[in-house]
Amino acid sequence: MARFLLRRLLHGLAVLWVVVTLTFILMHVTPGGPFDRERRLPPEVLANIAAKYHLDEPLLKQYARYLQAILRGDLGPSYKYIDRNVSDIVIDTLPVSALLGILALLFALAFSFPVGIGAAYYHNSWIDRWCLLFATLGISLPHFILGALLIWLFSLQLGWFQAGRWENLASVVLPTITLGAAPAAYLSYLLRSTLLETLGEDFIRTARAKGLKEIAVLLKHALNNSLIPTLTVLGPLAAALITGSFVVEYIFALPGMGRFFITAVTDRDYPLIMGVTLVYTVLLVCANLAVDLLYSFVDPRIKSR
Amino acid sequence: MKNTGILWKGLCRKPAALRGLAFILVICLGGFLAPLISPYSPGGLDEQRILEGPGWSHWMGTDGLGRDLFTRILYGARVSITVGIGTALAALLIGTLYGLISGYVGGTFDNLLMRIVDVCYGLPDLLIFILLSLVFGRNIAGILVALALVTWVRFARIARGQVLQAKEFIYVEGARAIGASHARIIARHILPNILAPILVTLTFSIPAAILAESTLSFIGLGINDPYSEWGTSWGTLAQDGWRAMRSYPHIIFFPAAAIFLTILAFNFLGNGLRDILDPKTR
Amino acid sequence: MPATLTKTSIRRALFVLALLFLSSCNPFSQSNSQKVFRVNLGTEPPSLDWSLATDHVSFNVIANLMVGLTEFDKNLKPAPVIASSWDILEGGKRIVFHLRDDVAWSDGQKVRAQDFEYSWKRLLNPKTASEYAYILFDILNAEEYHEGKTTDEELVGVKSRDDRTLEVKLKHPASYFLSITTFEVTYPQRQDMVEKFGSKWTEPDNIVTNGPFLLASWKHENEIRLKANPGFFLGKPAIEKVDMFMINEKTTALAMYEQGQLDFLDNHSIPILEKPRLAKAPGFQKVPQLRGYYYGFVTDRKPFNDVRVRKAFSMAIDRTVFPKILHGGEQPASSWIPPGMPAHNPRIGLTYNPPEARRLLREAGYPDGKGFPQITLGYNTDEDHKIVAEAVQGMWKRNLGVLARLENQEWKVYLKKLQTDPPDVFRLGWGADYPDPDNFMKLFTALSGNNNTRWKNPRYDQLLELAAGEFGEKKRAKLYDEAQKILCETDLPIVPLFTTAESTVLSPRYTGLEYSSMGRLILRNVRLKESNQFPAPAARGRD
Repeated sequence: MARFLLRRLLHGLAVLWVVVTLTFILMHVTPGGPFDRERRLPPEVLANIAAKYHLDEPLLKQYARYLQAILRGDLGPSYKYIDRNVSDIVIDTLPVSALLGILALLFALAFSFPVGIGAAYYHNSWIDRWCLLFATLGISLPHFILGALLIWLFSLQLGWFQAGRWENLASVVLPTITLGAAPAAYLSYLLRSTLLETLGEDFIRTARAKGLKEIAVLLKHALNNSLIPTLTVLGPLAAALITGSFVVEYIFALPGMGRFFITAVTDRDYPLIMGVTLVYTVLLVCANLAVDLLYSFVDPRIKSR
Repeated sequence: MKNTGILWKGLCRKPAALRGLAFILVICLGGFLAPLISPYSPGGLDEQRILEGPGWSHWMGTDGLGRDLFTRILYGARVSITVGIGTALAALLIGTLYGLISGYVGGTFDNLLMRIVDVCYGLPDLLIFILLSLVFGRNIAGILVALALVTWVRFARIARGQVLQAKEFIYVEGARAIGASHARIIARHILPNILAPILVTLTFSIPAAILAESTLSFIGLGINDPYSEWGTSWGTLAQDGWRAMRSYPHIIFFPAAAIFLTILAFNFLGNGLRDILDPKTR
Repeated sequence: MPATLTKTSIRRALFVLALLFLSSCNPFSQSNSQKVFRVNLGTEPPSLDWSLATDHVSFNVIANLMVGLTEFDKNLKPAPVIASSWDILEGGKRIVFHLRDDVAWSDGQKVRAQDFEYSWKRLLNPKTASEYAYILFDILNAEEYHEGKTTDEELVGVKSRDDRTLEVKLKHPASYFLSITTFEVTYPQRQDMVEKFGSKWTEPDNIVTNGPFLLASWKHENEIRLKANPGFFLGKPAIEKVDMFMINEKTTALAMYEQGQLDFLDNHSIPILEKPRLAKAPGFQKVPQLRGYYYGFVTDRKPFNDVRVRKAFSMAIDRTVFPKILHGGEQPASSWIPPGMPAHNPRIGLTYNPPEARRLLREAGYPDGKGFPQITLGYNTDEDHKIVAEAVQGMWKRNLGVLARLENQEWKVYLKKLQTDPPDVFRLGWGADYPDPDNFMKLFTALSGNNNTRWKNPRYDQLLELAAGEFGEKKRAKLYDEAQKILCETDLPIVPLFTTAESTVLSPRYTGLEYSSMGRLILRNVRLKESNQFPAPAARGRD
């Protein structure tokens, strides 16, 4: 198991390095940067700006400097927010994005378990057939459409929920549903499928033969085995939650990292773009590692390695 | 040929998939025959007809510049379908070739190439897509390339897995013994076997691409079309409508419905195909 | 085993969740408190350091935190604030400001002339890399100091003779210089604070200000909170607190106003297509702005090097369309100096005349647009600019038979493109930094860093110099008339399109808010309607 985890850790580091290098190259290949002002600046001022952002040094030296800074936790100064560092901005906005993601995940889990179990239990009934339809609908509905629809219905027409900001419980509801709907639909279906598969196995027949009630069979025995396939999708699910959060933060005006990323791209604020990309990748790598960890606990085949 | 017959027969038994296919065909036809279908231009300006709701002369109403919304959606189909199918095909080409070669050659070469694929899997795809689109430009070609570069790994993994499986079969060894060339082996023995899962992945890659492109166009980071005479992305149309949602909901409703239904149609089709071709993964 | 795993991990998860929730929420945020006035800034201000700020979001916050030498009155003339009076000497080459002695910084110290001297020199210092340094280039040796030709800041012509006297020496007489002192970048700064805290001196714990409000807190990308300054020399403002949110989605902001979570809306918060409906709401007011919108031509290459072509394209634009598609009460404009500014003259400029436009195009060698090269119309990515560009593209197609290609880039990229490889026609705008026509007209001089048309006309430059030295209003207006004729009728390097107006909605519970024609949100006189508190200084606007 230790070897497995070590390999996954190395993999994670490789991913991080690729991302860092990729975004660094990007910054120097695309147009737009701290020099671009509405009015042409005199050479003295341009030289000062170059010095401030170390843009007058050779490329490799800048790259080395950037790598060193990252290891120290310093993500550099923002081009647009002149007085602030990227690290400060990340610290301010990360909790909101993280909380949104976790809430959405909880919502998806809380929703998918009863629905998936119910669909497997009432196999071939209308619940079951609707489950597939529901799952397909869920993954076909882009976040922005669902979000706009929810805002239109619950905020503008009915006035039940607040349309923006991140202050109290009421403002959390709509964004969570928007971000969590697709995973909820997908997980329900996945759970139902794996449960049905497991239910066909031998040891289930044994349990039934022993006289256990169907519901106990389902919950006690089948569920454990279905957790493994569910775990495998948690990694990509985390990725989907991360990328989905951009749009949700944008529509609901939440002060999170995703919304910052969007404006940073529009403003060509490269240090901020690089910093946020890096943080998101770290999150993703950690999520995948966590899944691998859980996986190694649950799957006996890996434990023994 | 025999296989396509089986495929078609199987599809006929799946009404949802058929409906999906029909819808897709309608959209494609509508998009590319748009000038014949609609008398209006998707661009231009008509001060007299600003912001009309759906009615007889404008089935879906008009937008803030007086342009007919139905026409804009028709022309917009071109963009969405082109990006969707184009991305999937490009990813298929790159990924399948990559996976085929890697799996066929095997050994350390295969190991190395698959490590690269692993790393690519670990990247946050929408982020990378946004960054790549900055490099390649935000026109249709650039977005297509950027999206393809993010989705090719799926195909690579599948192709390589299938090649490894196929290599196990005795008849491949036999063919080598006879002296068949690599290309012939690949074409006659390996390709037919990987076709099924590749096709399913293709059908699912298309709606994913449409979803990604329309989402980005909605938040303003997508296709930056200079020339609305050819077509404007549905995501951009939805963005125009989002700003007017309170007073003129029709401007967002129709593009959003178009996006949703098209993605749904492809997903239904994909579900159907998957059931026929790869029932194990149901 | 999974069962036990879940129980403890659930507990742990809930704990982490609670922590995260607390850290991301502000326990003090009250959405409906009556003592707090809530506005939407739209975006996070890039900087609150007024030597570095360049955008109006930053200036809007700064304008409520600080006051300067002067501010402009209802007639857009500079009126005394910290400067109680001034003497214009040597024919306008030397100005001596006499400051009040009762204006205090928020830490109790008095505002002195040295604070102004320090601030202005910091603005000019090349190390500050300030974009607005050029605003003070009329001062003796200012330009040389900024461009590094001299490093001795003592040579710069601004000096504090004593705590209450500020002396300014100019290169040449400048009739508009007093207007410049209304602009936020000329506000005073505390040298000890700026040097002590470095780039963090604008953080709420460090910043020292002298205006009606204090910076209570700044949660980045979320909200800024102001609180009333009891030591403000004109009297403490009537509202206790101001919350400034940063919601960049207009639809969301509008929804919040309608749910009672915002007290004021402006163009940042009103989607274009909602403006007609809101125009009927109570508390609505349209405020024309000193902000012009124009299309510029690149005049040193085909086809727009031919003035007939430029005139043709200008006369093919029906400007009355713009208020219809933008819904914001935009004022069509054929001349460049906006209404409300001295020397404005609506009779200058070419009017909509498609037959004449076609005739000119034919004369230039392109009958009915045949043989016309492919041209590109560029703009920076924005909803409004897109609508305008698509409308103009439609009009040129209809009236001249020419289909222009549209292209757009993000602001920074767009700027770079303008300087390196500009499109044939490009969109730009300009909002007045200070209410004087010089600010608008100087954009197009030969050496102006803002002139992207590659056009120059020595007579134009000369007229502006004469007008700058001219103190008589009527004579100045005549000089500007002649300059505008060159700009908008004979040479036509640009086509002015319209001047903008700001749609504002103030919650009917409040009164006293002023939205100036320079796009500034002045909050110091805002009060609840029921209250009996009287505003301290004279209200300049909306009452």
